[in-house]
Amino acid sequence: MMRDADGMNGSSKPAPSRSVVRAMIWATVPVLLLVQLLASAGVEVSSFWSQIRQLDARIARVAESRAELIAEPLWKMRYDRVTGVLNEIMHDETIAAAAVYDDTGVVVARVVARPEVQALTEVSRPINYSNGNMAVQAGRIAIAYSYATLYMDAGSRLGLLLVVGLLATLATVIAMRISANIFIGKPLAAMMSAIQRSKQDSRAYPADVKSSNEFGQLAIAFNAMQHTTSGALDRLGHMASHDPLTGLPNRRTLSERLATLSRDAGSQDALIAFCFIDLDDFKGINDTFGHDAGDKFLVHISERLRGTVEAEDWVARLGGDEFVVIRPEVSNEAVAQAFARQLLEAISEPIMLHDKQVVPRASIGLAVRRAGDPELSHLPALADIALYHAKSKAPGTVAVLDEALQHDYRRRRDLELAIPTGFSEGQFEVWYQSQVDLVTQDIISLEALIRWRHPEHGVIGPGEFLPLIERSGNNARLTRYVLTDACRALQQLAEAGRPHIRIAINLPPSELADHSLAACLRETCERFDVAPSLLELEITEGSLINNMASASDTLRRLRRLGATIALDDFGTGYSSLAHLRRFPLDKVKIDKAFIREIPESAEDKAIVGVIASLAGTLGLTLVAEGIERAEQAQAMREMGVRLGQGFLYHKPQPLDAVLRQLAEIGGGEDRGLVDSPSIAPEFAA
Amino acid sequence: MTIILRIWLAVSIACGILAPAGSAVAADAKPLNIVFVSPGKTGEVYWDMVAQTMQAAGRKLNARVEVLTSERNYRTMQELGLGVVARADKPDFLILSNEESAAVPILEAAEAAGIKTLLLSNSLIGEDAKRLGPPRHILKNWLGDITTDLATAGARMANALIGAARNEKWQSPDGKIHLLAIGGDEITPASIARNAGLQLAVAAAPDVVLDRMLFANWTQSEAEQVAANYLGWAQRKGIRPAGIWAGNDPMALGALKAVAAAGITPGEAIQVVGLNWSEDALREIKAGRLLLTDGGHFLLGGWSIVLLRDFADGCDFAATSPHVEVKTSAITRDNLASVATLIATHAFDQIDFAQFRAKAGHCGQYDFSVEALISSISPPGGAGE
Repeated sequence: MMRDADGMNGSSKPAPSRSVVRAMIWATVPVLLLVQLLASAGVEVSSFWSQIRQLDARIARVAESRAELIAEPLWKMRYDRVTGVLNEIMHDETIAAAAVYDDTGVVVARVVARPEVQALTEVSRPINYSNGNMAVQAGRIAIAYSYATLYMDAGSRLGLLLVVGLLATLATVIAMRISANIFIGKPLAAMMSAIQRSKQDSRAYPADVKSSNEFGQLAIAFNAMQHTTSGALDRLGHMASHDPLTGLPNRRTLSERLATLSRDAGSQDALIAFCFIDLDDFKGINDTFGHDAGDKFLVHISERLRGTVEAEDWVARLGGDEFVVIRPEVSNEAVAQAFARQLLEAISEPIMLHDKQVVPRASIGLAVRRAGDPELSHLPALADIALYHAKSKAPGTVAVLDEALQHDYRRRRDLELAIPTGFSEGQFEVWYQSQVDLVTQDIISLEALIRWRHPEHGVIGPGEFLPLIERSGNNARLTRYVLTDACRALQQLAEAGRPHIRIAINLPPSELADHSLAACLRETCERFDVAPSLLELEITEGSLINNMASASDTLRRLRRLGATIALDDFGTGYSSLAHLRRFPLDKVKIDKAFIREIPESAEDKAIVGVIASLAGTLGLTLVAEGIERAEQAQAMREMGVRLGQGFLYHKPQPLDAVLRQLAEIGGGEDRGLVDSPSIAPEFAA
Repeated sequence: MTIILRIWLAVSIACGILAPAGSAVAADAKPLNIVFVSPGKTGEVYWDMVAQTMQAAGRKLNARVEVLTSERNYRTMQELGLGVVARADKPDFLILSNEESAAVPILEAAEAAGIKTLLLSNSLIGEDAKRLGPPRHILKNWLGDITTDLATAGARMANALIGAARNEKWQSPDGKIHLLAIGGDEITPASIARNAGLQLAVAAAPDVVLDRMLFANWTQSEAEQVAANYLGWAQRKGIRPAGIWAGNDPMALGALKAVAAAGITPGEAIQVVGLNWSEDALREIKAGRLLLTDGGHFLLGGWSIVLLRDFADGCDFAATSPHVEVKTSAITRDNLASVATLIATHAFDQIDFAQFRAKAGHCGQYDFSVEALISSISPPGGAGE
């Protein structure tokens, strides 16, 4: 969780302090620039207008002063001198032309300095001549001038102002950047750095900010918050890495521990013992004593483990009833096994739960690997292989991972991975083994048995691959596969003139909880045009116990369709008589374990006899499994067991072989016809 | 008077050198050494003629006249004058012309050196006149000055124009006679005087309007320009120009050109007057285009020698006044013939300057009139004989 957060925050790393400064500059500088430009432009415009007025006044003064100078030469008709005087003012670059008119209005002098200048303004002044005797208006002077120079000056000044404004703005930007970096960026960066370090180390570091301004106060508040956070982080970190119930390191810590195992080892050849511990039947304890007791039980176990291991050993609880103990250095595998057994012993001390003594039992998968082993990080998986073996083969023991186990594991894994291919390529085959009437020797029905014709491993029995099918969630698919094949087989039997031979299908426990099974069965039967009453569904006692209500419901639906229900392997499990009464059963199959020792074993004969009499009382048909010898068949007949199944009669074989055998035998269908109505009483109802 | 003079002249010529009774000058009188520093330029008609008449008179009156020309450069003039003053062999008299008041330092230096000085044509004016006072007062050796009465000349010229216009009825639509005056400048006393004469004459004539008093710097071209400007202006104003008064002959000639250029016939539709007795002016008079030229003041050169001769011989002109003012005369078509040759040939030796000397007991009283001049002229080749 923390790690994810790190990753997410890491992407937004670009220091926010820079963004703040930049945003400040972006917010301020355009306004600053605009105001500066507007102000200077305003000043310049007003200055321009005052210059225009000044120019007007100046030219007017020029005209007046020239009028004075010109008066005499004009009056005295020295027009050349008038022209001379006019020429003098042409040095003024704003003046484009000047002319002097005499008192008759005729131009007597004209000077054009800049004919190209446009947008002329003109000023005109009278020329008054006076001497001691007289004062007359001798004429007029007119001066044409242009504002072009002013426009150009104003333009260049505006340009200059723009440049100066830009430079000033640039200087401001730089000053803002520097000061913002000092007053804002630095404290922010210090806090950001503290935050980054805190994120990396999952610890709360204080920010090193000395200033006494708002940022200083912010930093003080931040540091106070960091201090608070620090404790919380510590607690959080512990919680993240430890199991809250037992206080032991958890699965996440195991990953970290594995990563450092090799590094912490004294040498690369040091042997590391990895014990994967799984409590047997912890569910039972939970169910029996309640979850609080279960928790207490787990705490006891963890304390025992802690008490058993040495200081350098490492104990973790992965969750549920799984524990791991790692001993970082053992001298050899035997020592490791001894250690594992020591652990088992420690666990197995009786515990008092609700004033009742409980003896805990656990299985241990032990994997021993060198510290330099590159597969070190797979230790949990390897130990789990051993544990699997222990759990499945010898619960309550230590299983050491060896080549055989690994081979089994790999084979299991290969098969599990090959299941989809097995379905798609039709590698699963349904073989059939006949059930015969022990008296007449007629084939009454066939039991559908699944086989896997694997391209590499050959024909694999269901004992090996069915658990894999179940674990990979393919039970329903396989059941339907078998159902379909069985229906097709029924069709073929009918075609072969044996329409009364029925077929039994094994239902895995999970299928009993599947409400759609009945509908599927009916639909498949309709597809192949066979009667559901020709189908028999074999279930085990275990599947009934795990989900009694839904199993009962499903069984009733199936029976309503006409199918019969057989209880398989009776006698090995609970062998509950209540079950026989409670569930809608038609048949009971006696497990071959009871048949094997007959007729030698008097005990077995007694048991079978009891079962047979019970079945007779309850109206259930009995089937004896695993009949291999004629004496066994004889004994069964004598005890009143009606039907039998076993190598004495037929081995499981593909349908073709069954059909061939039936063809060889010939006839026998009448007896089957007689049997059938009696075993489906509810169907009629 | 003229007749008597003529008779006297004829007799004296016929009898050779006579010593008239009461004559202040003896033929064997002490020869005079006179230096004239001319402000003018070589080739400048007026000053050349002044010097020539001076020398012609010197020859007649036993005076050696040395002429130094300052070429219109007053600094040169001062250097020349001071050089003369510094000479070991000092002249008896130094004649200066106070143009632009440049002669004052020379005058003062001569005073110190004990050289008698006479100012010709331009006397002291303004501050100098106030500071130095009248002749022989502060400057004991400054004998006095001989000048021309140009105010009278200016008035005479104006009156001639007005008279002609009245005769021809050249009034403008406003009923007035409109005149143009072209002066040389507004500063020099010689110009101011003749302009003042003009103004006086115009003021005295209520039917006359002087449209403009223009100034053309004594030159023909500028006069032509301003005259043309005036004529154009007058035309625009609806004025009929009746006469042009010019301060000297070159300006009068310029005005004539402008008049002709304006399509007006001088002498018939307009009259022009000048001053100086220049040859060109006389030619225009003869052609009927110029009404008159006043002048004859170049004879001041000759007259100054007459004054100094009398002074040296004991007849001081200051007895009347140290300021001798000589009246000018107009040459018109009427008297043109008498003086035309004299002026054309510069044959000033034809003038018997001795005739003009003051009579005993009448020192300072001279008759320098044109009539006296005409009567003093002996025809070339000794017509008297």
